[in-house]
Amino acid sequence: MFDYHAIAPELILGVTLIAVVFIDLILSDRYKYLVGVTALVGLTAAAFPLLTLAVCGDLSTCADTGSRVLFGGSYVIDDFALVLKGLFIVVGVITLLLSVGYIESDDYYQGEFYFLVLASITGAVVMASSRDLITMFIGLELVSGPAFLLAGWRKGDTRSNEAALKFFLIGVLSAAILLFGMSLVYGLTGEVTFTGIAAASAALDLANEPAFVLAVVFVLVGFAFKISAVPFHFWAPDTYQGAPTPVAAYLSVGSKTAGFVGLLTLCYQAFGPVREIWGPILWILAVLSMTVGNLVALRQTNIVRLLGYSSIAHAGFILVPFAMAATYDSVGLEDAFFGTVTYILIYAFMNLGAFAAVIAISARVGSGEIDAWGGLGRYSPNLAALVTMFFFALAGIPPLAGWFAKFVMFRAVIGAFSSPWAIVLAAIAAVNAVIALVYYARVVKTVYMDPIPEHADADSPTVVAPSLKLALAITAVAVIVVGFFPQILAFFGDASRALASGM
Amino acid sequence: MIVNQFLVLAALLFSIGIYGVLVRRNAVLVLLSVELMLTAVNINLVAFGAFLQDELLAGQVFALFVIAVAAAEVGIGLAIVVLIFRNRSSANIDELNLLKW
Amino acid sequence: MTGYFEDYITVAVFAAFGALLVAVSVGASALLRPKNPSATKSQTYECGIDPVGGGWSQTHVRYYIFALLFLIFDVEAVFIFPWAIQLEALGMFALVEMIVFIVILLAGLVYAVRKGVLEWES
Repeated sequence: MFDYHAIAPELILGVTLIAVVFIDLILSDRYKYLVGVTALVGLTAAAFPLLTLAVCGDLSTCADTGSRVLFGGSYVIDDFALVLKGLFIVVGVITLLLSVGYIESDDYYQGEFYFLVLASITGAVVMASSRDLITMFIGLELVSGPAFLLAGWRKGDTRSNEAALKFFLIGVLSAAILLFGMSLVYGLTGEVTFTGIAAASAALDLANEPAFVLAVVFVLVGFAFKISAVPFHFWAPDTYQGAPTPVAAYLSVGSKTAGFVGLLTLCYQAFGPVREIWGPILWILAVLSMTVGNLVALRQTNIVRLLGYSSIAHAGFILVPFAMAATYDSVGLEDAFFGTVTYILIYAFMNLGAFAAVIAISARVGSGEIDAWGGLGRYSPNLAALVTMFFFALAGIPPLAGWFAKFVMFRAVIGAFSSPWAIVLAAIAAVNAVIALVYYARVVKTVYMDPIPEHADADSPTVVAPSLKLALAITAVAVIVVGFFPQILAFFGDASRALASGM
Repeated sequence: MIVNQFLVLAALLFSIGIYGVLVRRNAVLVLLSVELMLTAVNINLVAFGAFLQDELLAGQVFALFVIAVAAAEVGIGLAIVVLIFRNRSSANIDELNLLKW
Repeated sequence: MTGYFEDYITVAVFAAFGALLVAVSVGASALLRPKNPSATKSQTYECGIDPVGGGWSQTHVRYYIFALLFLIFDVEAVFIFPWAIQLEALGMFALVEMIVFIVILLAGLVYAVRKGVLEWES
């Protein structure tokens, strides 16, 4: 009997996808928001099997049966997969909450929007469990395909078109490079499952094989595009700025996290025995992403572009624990893995919250330029407080959640301090954390200290859509609670660390 | 069976594709160049699959999925290109300069 | 290894023979025939109406949506071929799987039709 319980989340999402299409066909324009409600219900329903799988994997005896291996090792539901699937579903719910008001307010297609967001989330959920090259590729394409269309959602707006085309061309280019790398990996190891690749590359001593090094580099470059690491980041700020802001929020969290999930499982599982190949490459990518992302962010005047560069810098921070992998023992590797996963979890809430605040304020002020936000603290104190909180969380100021992300990141590097490269990396990361504070604080300064611009409409009341309020509440609570009680998220990070030692 | 000539062919196709992506200005031609790169991947996969005598046929299965996904990507890409063409009556990517820095 | 290349010798001989055949027949006719060129003979169509306009006529952009639909359904057939080969070995389960797959594809088609994509006048 096939283990349907194990893939129940994916099945529910798949059925919801088709339901969404048909409900969209039936409903008249007035009731299109029901399509969004259906998508939300489907996402929430998909979270329940995750809980039952985590708590009692075997429903008859209600015992946690550990990881489940399906399709000959291609699809594994372990604690790492469950944690990340849960994160993707939460990201999906928040993205839908962000979008409802935004999509309704304009003359956009509505039903298809929810369908595409849901499809992209489904891809991300598939990626979290995929443990072979084919499944991972399908998952990745299912994440990015709908995202290309979402980026170009405002059909009449040439900026949105441009965002979509840039994102699309970079996306397919990176997919082609990734695939070429994957085909070489398959050819040299004769395996597509990650465990098989790891075993074969250790047995054949492929670490010294130039073709295999090339293959790994190609795969890394493909993923570097997806996570927008410098120097493969050019598309990200342009796409974020041109795309509808809720889509930008989704891209900077959902699609980026999916890329990191791929990178994590590939690096730690498939390429575990060849750590000396990818460690130094990711060291360089991490340093470049942090530095370039932060320095360019200093000069931004548009808030979404600023968040775009800040998300590039955060990609660099997330890559930091990868960078010294070649020097770790198995405990150090688990710590590094734990650091990355925990950073991703916290980053998702912080960044979605920041985008939610930006959407609310942009709607209130009528502009995404930072200068127009002057004096917001006087006429809309709640929104100003929220944006301050999320930006300080992103900067890593205690007691907000961001400090813990930075803490685990630095702890992973300090674990490798026998190597001078680790010390250099830690120093660069520390300097970058300070630079980041400058531009986050500048926005806060504008909001509280700058005079209200002349043409600003400071008298009308601040109206925030209820769905957006809910999204703000969820992320705000998460950011504060995790800041005070980081062990909550550390628990999830801990649960997933077993993946790193499995090699 | 030797696999080298297939790999050389695939590498050449892939390089031509990369060259096309970097040099071509028309979005449709960039898309075609990407398809060329994906073809190179397929050649690699099938050649390796035959060379390794993989009884799971993983290489061929992978190639089938690449073909299907490439078709989906072309669908999305052409939709975006047509959209841009309607708004600007041009599909040249170096005229896309609204968003920078 | 050498056997692999020896197979190509057959191809090379065949190609050479083909080229020779064309060269001999065209060359012989060029030598034997009378030469009497005139302007009428070098026209595209020697009889009938003279061609007007360029050879690169544009296709209406609306065709692209049909092309897209065709492309998607055409390419999905790649999954049906391996399925058809293994159907007897896999049995009922594979049949149900393929029905599910095709129903999902049809759902897409129904969606396209209901959205009015296939109607020419819109």
